[in-house]
Amino acid sequence: MAPRNRTFRPRVCRFCTDKELVIDYKDVKVLRNLVTERGKIVPRRIYGTCARHQRRVTEAIKRARQLALMSYSGSTQY
Amino acid sequence: MRRYETTYILRPNLGESQITEIIDRTNDIIKNDGGTIIDLNRWGLKTLAYEIKKEKQGHYVYFDYTAHGSTVEEMERIFRIDDQILRFLTIKLADSIDQETIDNEIERIVASAAAEKLAEETEEDGEEKPAEDTEKVGEDAGKTVTDHSTDTDRNEE
Repeated sequence: MAPRNRTFRPRVCRFCTDKELVIDYKDVKVLRNLVTERGKIVPRRIYGTCARHQRRVTEAIKRARQLALMSYSGSTQY
Repeated sequence: MRRYETTYILRPNLGESQITEIIDRTNDIIKNDGGTIIDLNRWGLKTLAYEIKKEKQGHYVYFDYTAHGSTVEEMERIFRIDDQILRFLTIKLADSIDQETIDNEIERIVASAAAEKLAEETEEDGEEKPAEDTEKVGEDAGKTVTDHSTDTDRNEE
């Protein structure tokens, strides 16, 4: 079997490295990078977010969705 | 006493006075039950990510306060009845809070608001006012903003 062509993914959690970056459901600017174009939450194996921060991210995204700051489906374009 | 924050969305067709009235009414519920308002922030008219009750936009109001659980329940009951409120979300921030923390928080929020205002003013004035203190505050505020933008840039890569 040929080895699968794997692209490099960062191993370090971006929220652990950058203390200035706060996860907050009110701060959609940060959260928008953590969802796909269709609005799905990106799994943590993609961005290498640590478990603790990924939990906070999902929680924040879900809260932002409730307040119509982010969409449940589709892009948030503004 | 617990510390909560609530954000609610009002219908976009409301006038300024109606919005103020709803805000005042909500604040009164909290205050009459012995709570304190720490911070109140109006985000203004924002476009909703999806339609809520046929509305595409809404006035966002955010406030940070201390209250008993029963007070929050009562406030949410009123929110549900009120047709002008499209959506609300309450988050518990802390299980208990003492007077000292409340005072400190209020002080901090007032200070940061003042700093923000100052930064805005210095930005508007440009380099006409080379006063050292004001410029320093402006610089600090600007720094955090730029930090943010570089973060998002990197995230997009």
